[in-house]
Amino acid sequence: MTTPSTHWLARWMTRRWARWLLVLLILPTILMLITALMVWRQLRDDQPVVYASAEEHFKYGSTGGERESGFPYWIFQAMPQVCSQHLPGAGYRSLGLIFENGKDLPIGMSKRRYQGVERTFLNCAVCHTSTVRDDPAATPRLYLGMPANTFNVLAFQQFFFNCGKDPKFTKEYVVPEIDAMMRAQGMKLGLLDRYLIYPVALALMRDRLIMLSGRFDWANHQHPWGPGRVDTFNAAKVLFNFPMHRLPAEEMNAPGDFPAIWFQGPRQGMQLHWDGNNTLVEERNKSAAFGTGTTPPTLDRAAIGRVETWLLSHEAPKYPYTIDTALATRGAPLYKTYCANCHGAGPRDFSGEQVGKVTPLDKIGTDRRRLDSYSYDLAANQSTLYAGYDWRFKHFRKTFGYANAPLDGVWLRAPYLHNGSVPNLRELLEPAAQRSKVFYRGDDVYDPVNVGFRASVAEEGNRAFFKYDVSVVGNGNAGHEGREYGTALSQEDKAALLEHLKTF
Amino acid sequence: MYSSTPKRRRLKILSWIVVLLVAASAWFGWYEFFREEPQPEWITADPEMRFKYGSIGAERDAGIPYWIFYILPRVFADKLPGPGGLMSMGVSWEMGQELPVGFTKKVVGFERVANNCAACHSAAYRVSADSNPVFVNAGGGHTLNLEAFFRFLVDCAKDPRFNADNLMREINLVTELSFIDRAIYRFLLIPITKKRLTEREAQFAWIYHKDFPEWGRGRDDAMNLTKYFMINLPMDQTFGPTDMPAIWNLKKYDAPGTTMNLSGDSHDARSVVIDSALGLLGAPPKSNDEFLQQVDWLLDYLRNKPAPAYPFAIDQARAAAGKVVFDRVCATCHMSDRTGRRMALSEVATDPGRMESWNKDNAIAANKVVTDMGIERKGLVEASLEGYNPPFLDGIWLRAPYLHNGSVPTLRALLEAPDSRPQQFHRGYDLYDPVNVGFITSGPAAERIGTLHDTRLRGNGNQGHDFGTQLPFGDKDALIEYLKTL
Repeated sequence: MTTPSTHWLARWMTRRWARWLLVLLILPTILMLITALMVWRQLRDDQPVVYASAEEHFKYGSTGGERESGFPYWIFQAMPQVCSQHLPGAGYRSLGLIFENGKDLPIGMSKRRYQGVERTFLNCAVCHTSTVRDDPAATPRLYLGMPANTFNVLAFQQFFFNCGKDPKFTKEYVVPEIDAMMRAQGMKLGLLDRYLIYPVALALMRDRLIMLSGRFDWANHQHPWGPGRVDTFNAAKVLFNFPMHRLPAEEMNAPGDFPAIWFQGPRQGMQLHWDGNNTLVEERNKSAAFGTGTTPPTLDRAAIGRVETWLLSHEAPKYPYTIDTALATRGAPLYKTYCANCHGAGPRDFSGEQVGKVTPLDKIGTDRRRLDSYSYDLAANQSTLYAGYDWRFKHFRKTFGYANAPLDGVWLRAPYLHNGSVPNLRELLEPAAQRSKVFYRGDDVYDPVNVGFRASVAEEGNRAFFKYDVSVVGNGNAGHEGREYGTALSQEDKAALLEHLKTF
Repeated sequence: MYSSTPKRRRLKILSWIVVLLVAASAWFGWYEFFREEPQPEWITADPEMRFKYGSIGAERDAGIPYWIFYILPRVFADKLPGPGGLMSMGVSWEMGQELPVGFTKKVVGFERVANNCAACHSAAYRVSADSNPVFVNAGGGHTLNLEAFFRFLVDCAKDPRFNADNLMREINLVTELSFIDRAIYRFLLIPITKKRLTEREAQFAWIYHKDFPEWGRGRDDAMNLTKYFMINLPMDQTFGPTDMPAIWNLKKYDAPGTTMNLSGDSHDARSVVIDSALGLLGAPPKSNDEFLQQVDWLLDYLRNKPAPAYPFAIDQARAAAGKVVFDRVCATCHMSDRTGRRMALSEVATDPGRMESWNKDNAIAANKVVTDMGIERKGLVEASLEGYNPPFLDGIWLRAPYLHNGSVPTLRALLEAPDSRPQQFHRGYDLYDPVNVGFITSGPAAERIGTLHDTRLRGNGNQGHDFGTQLPFGDKDALIEYLKTL
């Protein structure tokens, strides 16, 4: 045995240079460990901004989309300044996004700190919330769950793709913009952020936007959807990286109106989506959540579950204008005769033999693009979504018509038919030949006479509305007409039925 | 004492630790790579489901790690014949199912995807353009583009983009693997899969042969597959693609003297099931007992699986008249003691490609391969081929296109003189044509989805079988009506 004093290490340590060497070795190790710990903490960082009330959560809460798809918050804020030439007007408002007073983000965008960076992305409300003005001078009134009539999602998407490709989307332009914006709010851009985080984030984001713009290039070759519409199921094909340019032409140009999403409870089991391709509310919701940037591993199930639960019982808002009760009462039996079988017994009573079922296309006769865009191939592929999870998609089915939906809050669902091709209810009760060939969408001034939004005004101030032409492919306004659909009723009966529909 | 000295005790503890570590890593290795979990009951308990999705043991050697298989159509969409992911290869895919019919998922250490018989033996048809397909178990997979599927796997593996970085990125988008599984995928499964799939390229050389036409949807060059994969023969210049056959109602082959397969190459149904299943396994079975039990189940299922009934209305009076014509013109070969027996090529005079792609020596060699595995079966007929067996006609309506090489689109066309049959048509579209009895073979959808069959190309000839082509129109019409009833 050796005694401690003669151990080789102990002997060695009596030399001064050896002690120094030890310090020099230990110090960097400690530093590296600290750095590793910081990086680890940074990567684990995952804090959504949470809201106590269900309404605020719906408007600004996260679906988890920021994790995979989030824009770094400050880059998002700087982009309208840097890329103003790619916006139709000033700021994100010009895309039809709604900003509440004092809010830094529009309705439908959430915030989460993820891996050390504040990020923002879309949630359900961006496509399912909008405003109503009683007259051009009135303050817009917010309605949660109604179709986002003013929001132009295609322009939104194109703005990011265009900005991402813009020569100005570099640290030289973006970082100083962020710096200025932060200063204006009394904040300071840190050195790490200035020289490392944002330059790297910009490079990554540019890469990602260029990749996505390639995958969504097909949308540039479509007739513009205009505000309030999206080509849902062609977008869904991007998820599978289908080579979009090889799809048959009949599947393309298939925008549908954003739907109202209130009061889902009684809708469970109905054929959901315009063509009734899914019967499970939760699956439909998760499918829609792909549009908010989520992936199966990054979906915030608790957060989206909260929205889901709230929507089960959140009812459609009441018609806020005067209703001629006598006239409406006279319309009730007409509704019962002509509408109830397919659209439900009443505003909250969705009983009816054909409610939530698909009417074959040759019977309903509405524009077929949206139906044809949902292909058997897509339905089969969708069964692979969420593979490995108990909630793997199992309910998507190819159908051959459009689903009969309940009419709660029908006054806010204008324009009508699945593709929003009929501006108001009054016109929907006319045969297609008498419906408007051209009208404007995206206005939020309400027209209680015709029951729908103002559709005759091309622009208001610096706001240009979307000229909707029913002769464009996918925009057809035919169908839902004939005796059975009430378009042959007398003008008096139509007026009564219209008045009754206001009570929904 | 002896064992109580500290040094020895330490040694003992140390050796225990070593033993435990070795045992733990062996268990870990077994668990992560070899443990087998049974498939869920919804598959194993229901015969129809079992035929469609049940494992026949092919996952062990031919299986592709599930998540690699999952993302390949997304990452390499450019290598598929069209849009639609796996659908572009004409698989039978039931809505709501995670995998197409004939694709099996089983845990062997990790989840793997392989194939079973239904991949090629599931027939799809639609009764109208505005309806969803009906899938018939044991029917001929007339929509399946098997050649495209083979090429897809090899082409993906060969592509430089098939690397762990790209594949892991895509996998992480769709699932949350544990740290260990990620490491296993990144460092083992992805490189090994790439290597194994690339190795197949040499055996698949003939599907890249420039002088051979495409098999097209619904066909495969079955005997050459056997030669190059089972017997490992070098590529020769033969080419004989044939229709994926319907394999329902195999009981009919109980009749003495019948031989199976298009040229009567195999003695009995059991041999055919064994040989085909071995082809899917891609390796000798892990346990012959287990394998043969599986074969017995399949055989039992297929022997008793009836041919499907014609899904449209049948004019019974006309069919009755057609039976008279059938008995006079067709029954001699198709409902007699000649049915399912060998017949000389000179009698039917159809395309010889299939017959020429196989010979006695091949049969002897293939039988030896199977015998060497310790599997007893009657096996392949060790004799030169003479021609084609006249087939049984049960469910003939769903066996389109017709003749062994699928060179005639419909029964109506088959009753035309060979010169008047369509020279070109599109095959593999699933919309049924009750007028001509077969599938729709022209029009935008058929042309987009189907593959072009050109009868002037090698192996594609539509000559021969000119029986009944001289019948008066009314007789032909009646005969066709009767054939719908079979």
